[in-house]
Amino acid sequence: MRLDATTVRRLLIVLLIVAWEVLPQAGLVPRLFLPPVSATVAALWGSAPEYAYHLWVTLQEVAISMLFACVGGVAAGLVIGNSVRLRQLLLPLASAGFAIPLVILYPLFTAWFGIGPESKIVFASVYGFLPTLLGTAAGVQTIDRHLVTVARSLGASRFQQITRVFLPAAIPTVLSSLRIGGALVIVGVTVAEMLTSTAGIGFLISRYRTLLDSPHVFAAILLVLAMAIAFDWLVQLIERRVAGWQRAIRTEQAPAAAYS
Amino acid sequence: MNKDVSGTIQVEGVSHTFVSNGEKTHALDNVSFEVPKNRFVSIVGPSGCGKSSLLMMLAGLQTPDEGRIICEGKKITRPDPQRIGVVFQEASLFPWLTAEKNVEFPLSLRGVKPAVRHDRAREALALVGLEGFGSRYPHELSGGMKQRVSIARGLVQDPPILMMDEPFAALDEQTRTVMGDELLRIWEQTRKTILFVTHSLGEAVYLADQVLVMSARPGRIIDRIDVDLPRPRRFEMMSTQPFMELRERIWRQIRH
Repeated sequence: MRLDATTVRRLLIVLLIVAWEVLPQAGLVPRLFLPPVSATVAALWGSAPEYAYHLWVTLQEVAISMLFACVGGVAAGLVIGNSVRLRQLLLPLASAGFAIPLVILYPLFTAWFGIGPESKIVFASVYGFLPTLLGTAAGVQTIDRHLVTVARSLGASRFQQITRVFLPAAIPTVLSSLRIGGALVIVGVTVAEMLTSTAGIGFLISRYRTLLDSPHVFAAILLVLAMAIAFDWLVQLIERRVAGWQRAIRTEQAPAAAYS
Repeated sequence: MNKDVSGTIQVEGVSHTFVSNGEKTHALDNVSFEVPKNRFVSIVGPSGCGKSSLLMMLAGLQTPDEGRIICEGKKITRPDPQRIGVVFQEASLFPWLTAEKNVEFPLSLRGVKPAVRHDRAREALALVGLEGFGSRYPHELSGGMKQRVSIARGLVQDPPILMMDEPFAALDEQTRTVMGDELLRIWEQTRKTILFVTHSLGEAVYLADQVLVMSARPGRIIDRIDVDLPRPRRFEMMSTQPFMELRERIWRQIRH
C-alpha cells in the first residue's frame, strides 16, 4: 500500500500525540518534564475560564500589534522599495535591526511603557514590523516595471500606479512576509508576557512554571500553538483568495488554450 | 479656419538624446511625419533605431528634447488614452486581472461606473473576437488571445488613434498572419488611425497604407512609401510582384 504525503503527515502527528500520552504514562519520561496529553487537556478544561481570560488578553495584544506591524511594515516596505535613495539608506539599517535580538531591549520597553499591554504591543509591533518591511521592499523590486509603464500609458496617476499595479503585483510577496511578520508578532507578545506581565498566555506559562505545574504550562503552550496555526491558516486562506493567479502561473506554465 | 484635426498626428522635428549609465545616446534626429485620419501607417527600421523612444513620446510617457508631437491639434504632454490607445508587445496584461477586468482597467482609472465599464469591455472583447472569454485570466489565454485582449483594452475608450508597438512580435508565424487579418478587419470596422511599429517588413507592407522607414541610430525617416495595393488585402498578395517590389525597396534601405 502506498501512502501519499498528507496521510503520512497526519499519521506522524497522531504518532506524536500517542507518544506524548504513552511515554510519561509508562514512566519513560518524568511527568514534570512532559505531562501526558490527557493531563494537559484536563488542566486546560479544568481552568477553562482562567485560560479564556488570559487568551483574550493575548489575542487583543496580538491583534493590535499585528495591525501596527503589518500595516506599518507593508506601507514602509512599499515606500522604501520604490525609492532607490531610501533603499540604499534604510535597507541596511532594517536588516541590521532585524539581526539584533530585540528581546534584550524588552526591559527598556517595560521601563518606557509599563508592564501592561502597551509594552507588549510596542515590542511585538517592532518585532513583526522589520521582517514585513524587508519582505515587502524586496517584493516590490521584483515587480515587472513594464506593467507600470503600461498602467501609465493607460492614464494611471502616481497614486493609482501604486494602488492598482504595485499593490496587487506585490500581494504574493507581501503575504509571505506577513506570514513571517505575523508569526513573530505572536512570538513577541508571548515572550514579552513571559518576561514581565500580569496577564496573558505567556504570563500563565511563566507562572505555572514557577509552581512546577507542568500540565497547566503545557495547556498554555497548546493555546499558543493553536493561535500560531490559526494565523498561518488564515494567511493561507487569504493567499488562495487574492493571489490565486500567481499560484496558477507557477503550477501551469503552459498556456491552457491553443486558440488564437 | 477650423480644420478637422480629429484622428491626426503630426510629428514635427523631433530630436532626442537619452543618457543611460552616463552614456549619451542620440536616439532620434529631426524626425517629422504626419498621419492623416483613418490611415494605417507602419513604421519599420533596424533594431535600436529609436522606434521605442518615438513610441514612448507618442504615448505621452516621454517628452522630446526638441520638436513636438501634436495629436488632434494638441501637443502631447502626458498619456491620453482617450485620444491614443496604446497596444504593447506581449506580457502587458495585468496577470491578476481577468481579461474583462484588464479591458476595463483604463475605464476604472477614470472612475467610470461598473455597469457601464462592464458593457464597454464586453463590446470591446466581442470586437476582437473574444466573446465569452472575459472571465479568463491571462495565463489561461494563448499568445494571440492575449494580444486580442490588449487590443480590446486599447480600443475600449474608443480613441480615434491606435498605436501599436510590435504587437505581434512574440507570436508564431501562423498566429501572426491571422492577427494581421484580424487587425485589418477591426480597422475596417472602427476606422481608427493606426500607427503600427514592427520589424517585419512583410507585415508592414501587408497592413499599411504608408510605410515609414527609419534609419539606424540616430533614427531618421529615410523613406515614405505609399502602399497602393488594393484592399481588402489577401494573403496571396504577398507573393505578387508589386508587394515584393515594395518589400525589397524597404529592405535595400535598412540593410546597411
